Amino acid sequence: MAKAKIKFADVNVTVTVPVGTRIIEISEKVGSYIAYNCREGDCGSCLFTVLDGAENLSTPSSLEEATLFAHFQEVLDGWRSAGDLESLQSMMRRENFAGKTCRLACQTQVFGDATVAPI
Amino acid sequence: MAVTDRVHWIGAFDPKMRTFDVILKTPNGTTYNAYLVRGSEGVAVIDTVKAETADQFFTRLEAVADYSEIKVIVLNHLEPDHSGALPELMRRAPQATLYISDAAQLMLKALLNNSNIAYTPVTTNDRVSLGDRTLRFLNTPYLHWPDTQCTYLEEEGVLFSGDVFGCHYCDEQLFNDSVGDFRFSFEYYYSHIMRPFKQYVLSALELIEPLQINLIAPTHGPILRDHPRHYVERYRELSTPQLHLEIDHDVKTMLIFYISSYGNTMHMAEAIRDGALEIGGFRISLYDLEGGEVEPFVDLVEDADAILVGSPTINGDAVKPVWDLLSSFAKINVKGKVAGAFGSYGWSGEAVRMVEDRLRGLKMRVPAGGLRIKLIPSDVELEDCRDYGRDIGAFLMGKPRAREIDMSQL
Ligand SMILES: Cc1cc2nc3c(=O)[nH]c(=O)nc-3n(C[C@H](O)[C@H](O)[C@H](O)COP(=O)(O)O)c2cc1C
Ligand code: FES
Repeated sequence: MAKAKIKFADVNVTVTVPVGTRIIEISEKVGSYIAYNCREGDCGSCLFTVLDGAENLSTPSSLEEATLFAHFQEVLDGWRSAGDLESLQSMMRRENFAGKTCRLACQTQVFGDATVAPI
Repeated sequence: MAVTDRVHWIGAFDPKMRTFDVILKTPNGTTYNAYLVRGSEGVAVIDTVKAETADQFFTRLEAVADYSEIKVIVLNHLEPDHSGALPELMRRAPQATLYISDAAQLMLKALLNNSNIAYTPVTTNDRVSLGDRTLRFLNTPYLHWPDTQCTYLEEEGVLFSGDVFGCHYCDEQLFNDSVGDFRFSFEYYYSHIMRPFKQYVLSALELIEPLQINLIAPTHGPILRDHPRHYVERYRELSTPQLHLEIDHDVKTMLIFYISSYGNTMHMAEAIRDGALEIGGFRISLYDLEGGEVEPFVDLVEDADAILVGSPTINGDAVKPVWDLLSSFAKINVKGKVAGAFGSYGWSGEAVRMVEDRLRGLKMRVPAGGLRIKLIPSDVELEDCRDYGRDIGAFLMGKPRAREIDMSQL
């Protein structure tokens, strides 16, 4: 089976995994500080950043994108509101988590080498 | 009631309130303070009151101004006990402009379920003129809501501080030099409301301390006209990390808490400590939670850099003092502190995983997966504990040990 190497920068651990493995399956085992809750792409708690190799990860589904927007708003001001997608999107572009790509660990599959870290 | 010749108190008394926001004891009731400021070119209303007490607010407002004079409405934060009378006020004074902080915008829509409300977002040093009187805004987020701001009346040196410097204390004498002894309420309010946001308090004080302050007008409790700066100084004292006043600023601290019925988890705790000591460069304390009292540890946890928690599994769960300790973390800010869980178990071993989840849920950094050992730790397993201590210690010192592993080994 094809393998990939995924590095968790916060704990300095590199794990060799079968391709198709989801980030969360590894992060929780190596103690990386990527939180999680629902494991279904809904809650947004498993947010992480891709430091390197974003192209080697699965493309975000529409569920993942929607949750990222919603979660970003929560991160920003701690409050859910009756959606204002446009201003959320503009805030997201503005901050863009300091120029790093953000993804959900329970949704993202590994297809090649990458380096990731908690937000 | 006149606060100065240009400022009137138009708030409400709620002497019967006994519990606030589910968690706060209010043995003396509370007040919802709102203020009216009169300038040569119009009137400003600063904060409103809880909806249930709106009648008092409107009666007091009408005694000192006409609705048609109101040019400005300021909400220092949108918590319902201060925004409750807002919709009705805006209905009665439709010509007024509402000023809120940048961060309050989305919240305002959610709170009033109305997206057609006109408002002007403001931030630090934005000003609104009332002719011969000027309001200046200070953005002081997270005290204790994300949208919190303070408003400063420049010509009079009056700080409308919102919940900052407030407390739940109801006394119709209203001023700090004439009400009863409210020190308990002031300190209790700080420790339950502001304490988790100490970092934000310190940032807010950077804006507040340089002001000429003749009077502080908070949204709850006595108006502080006698020695107002004393309260500012007290906030500075309460928000400054205590440990670093006693020891060198950059010495890190690790606390290891455990509870243990037969000593297994205790032996793990000791071995973890020994491993961490080998890394060195930080202070380590070991605490047994036996007896169940956790309150004395809260101050220590607040100043610590790393916190490890050990619990055996008893009836499929961690033991109560461990949960009590963890629930006390909500009173303080533990976000980003290094954390870990460990414990001895007999057959199912759920405790460590549950504690670990809780630590992550509190947004602590859990650099190594929780350490579980079945029953009595063997020599080899005690070495695993020491290794765990070394790992956490190295992480704490900013040098996580590099590891390469295959997923099948996990
Ligand atoms: C009343 C009782 C209930 C227990 N329930 C569980 C359990 O549900 N799951 C489990 O893994 N072990 C259970 N154990 C076993 C303990 O976790 C085990 O003895 C452990 O080594 C105790 O560690 P300690 O010496 O640090 O207290 C139980 C033990 C007692 C006395
Ligand atoms: S764990 Fe909930 S979105 Fe990933």
